Amino acid sequence: MKGLTVSLGKRNRVLPIIVAIALALTGCSKGSSDKASGEINIFLIPSPSSTSIQSFIPEFEKQTGIKVNFSETPYGEAHQKQLLSYNQKAGAYDIAQFDNSFLAPFCQAKAMLPLDSYISKSKEYDIGDFSQAQQDYGKCKGETLGLTLSTEPMIQWYRTDIYEKLGLTPAKTWDEYYNNAKKIQASGSGGQIMGFGPNVSWWWMTLVWSFGGQLYDDNLNPTVNSKEAVAATDYLKKLIAVSPKGAITANGDDVTSRFLGEDIGAMLNYSGYYGMALDEKINKNKGKIGTAPMPIGAADITHLAGWNIGIPSDAKNPDAAWKFLEFVFGKTNAKAYLQSGAAAIGRQSIINDAELVATNPYLPQLTISASSRVERYPQIAVWPEFETAAIDAVSQVLTGKKATQAALDALNEKLKPILAKEPRG
Amino acid sequence: MGLVGTLTRKQRRLTRPIGHYTLGTWVLLALTILVPLLYGIYISLLDINLASFLAPQFVGLKNYTTALQASETWSTLRITIALMFLGMIVQIPCGIILAVALHQQLRGTKIFRSILITPMLLTPVAVGLTFRFMFDTDLGVINWFIGKLGIESVNWLGSQTSGLVAIVIVDSWQSIPFVMLLILAALSAIPTSLFEAATVDGASNRQVFRLITAPLITPTLLVIVMIKIMDFLKLFDTIFMLTRGGPGNATTTLGLWTYKTGFVFLELSRAAALGVIILIITMPVYFLWRKSTRNVR
Repeated sequence: MKGLTVSLGKRNRVLPIIVAIALALTGCSKGSSDKASGEINIFLIPSPSSTSIQSFIPEFEKQTGIKVNFSETPYGEAHQKQLLSYNQKAGAYDIAQFDNSFLAPFCQAKAMLPLDSYISKSKEYDIGDFSQAQQDYGKCKGETLGLTLSTEPMIQWYRTDIYEKLGLTPAKTWDEYYNNAKKIQASGSGGQIMGFGPNVSWWWMTLVWSFGGQLYDDNLNPTVNSKEAVAATDYLKKLIAVSPKGAITANGDDVTSRFLGEDIGAMLNYSGYYGMALDEKINKNKGKIGTAPMPIGAADITHLAGWNIGIPSDAKNPDAAWKFLEFVFGKTNAKAYLQSGAAAIGRQSIINDAELVATNPYLPQLTISASSRVERYPQIAVWPEFETAAIDAVSQVLTGKKATQAALDALNEKLKPILAKEPRG
Repeated sequence: MGLVGTLTRKQRRLTRPIGHYTLGTWVLLALTILVPLLYGIYISLLDINLASFLAPQFVGLKNYTTALQASETWSTLRITIALMFLGMIVQIPCGIILAVALHQQLRGTKIFRSILITPMLLTPVAVGLTFRFMFDTDLGVINWFIGKLGIESVNWLGSQTSGLVAIVIVDSWQSIPFVMLLILAALSAIPTSLFEAATVDGASNRQVFRLITAPLITPTLLVIVMIKIMDFLKLFDTIFMLTRGGPGNATTTLGLWTYKTGFVFLELSRAAALGVIILIITMPVYFLWRKSTRNVR
């Protein structure tokens, strides 16, 4: 009798578990079929752009009946997680946000779906409303793997009050930029700020390009020890003397928050950081922040950075995903998207809109002159390793551990086997 | 056979070999330690790159030769060893001094003991981040304080030497309580009669420490040294939060370099090979540790 009770008890416990598993499996399969008919999953990386995208979800769901799920993954592990997912062909995401520096590895892995057929048919997206540089921003080997999610050229930021007081104008050349900083420093404020710390590569490569150099040639031979690269690195080192002391360890965020929160005359940084200037908790100098194009060196270049967003190759619902991209980034919602706090995409029809410029005075800087050569993060899969080696070498110069030429010669040698690993063709 | 047949179910359960009781633990340990370890060794022999979707190829020991030929492997190992020595030079004497002081059972000992172990309870990530702000050149409280003393501000995290010193300070702040607790336990195990006899014989405090305390806590000290060596070999979070291994790679340890290789360069097989190299370096320390623990009461 006892045995029977025990046996029934066990069955009583086991049965609900079996039923639950069966229901869960049924639920899963039902979910999958629903998903194919009208559900998309979006992979986002925390940023003002991500927040803005999320704000459009309810209206999109209402208009289309397509259910939108999203998840956010911090920048540090976002691309690794995406690569793992694409590698497993898990079909976990229908839309994914990614940094342009990962376009090359994604391209190499054929991880993203070419969007050209969607773009060419879409009047709502209207690719012609973007400059050529912006149209090319998400392209790899002639195919558009990602839409431009933000257009962030490296620009000059300056404190209008300090410049006015000292009778300065935004620099047009690198000599002027240094001299302005020197005068500002002599007046008691911080001269200028750049990130000489873990992101020093952003500024270093900008200067190398602007001074007329290249990081590598067409055959992927490193050229970081050219006389132009040496001059650019020496100039970067010279700027330390007119920067606040802590800039030597500052990263991109530190630089921006210090410029906005302290008395520092100028900063060279990506326009995408302007979102921080709109935050009064960070920006203690509201109404005193001006922007201007980056000074010009031996070459007229625009260093363009920013996010991309695209559809992974293994997406389960690419058509619904495109509908969403068209809805958020199309012409109809272009203004609303920017007003929701996102970094500007760079749609030409709105960058001179008076209402938008009043709140985002940097917008006109997104007009990239046709004469300016556009440079973006090197489109090579080995870039992370290249960048780490470059940061190490430049840091040795900036901290006085090595002479510029010696450090860059050593870097050039170190980069040869790294670039040799890059797949050709 | 006949005897077994006459045993009740309960008796049979009680006479099972001891291995039956620990089997679950062994399986769990195998799944969480042995399998990942063997898998790590296996992938170190392939050429897996996360950005390449090509099928992994067997490359034998190529990742090991590449890692051993890379200057970064040796420079980061040197940095790891430098941190290890600097850390132990600071942490062990400080831990001994605090433990001896607390062992005197002076007034307020219990409160001080509680306060002193607090840093040990905090997560290294939070500690690293807090100290990062404290070490800030322009805004940090440490430079503000030394400025009040008339000393010029130090760019703590901006050069290799000061960066390493900063890491040692932060790690010591967290690790000294651990050293102190182990020494305190060793001191408590020494019979008080030895100290009493020494006092009756007129031994000075220094003599008591040199002739009684030091020899009796030496086995514990050896254990501490071994644990600290292993701690420094895997030190990651504090450095990651404090300097990210910078400027450049100036404060990058072998562990952090392995992380960068795997998760920044996406070279998973090369990172696995570096992991195995760290394991090989740690093995002799582990065996020394096992040997030294035999003498600890």
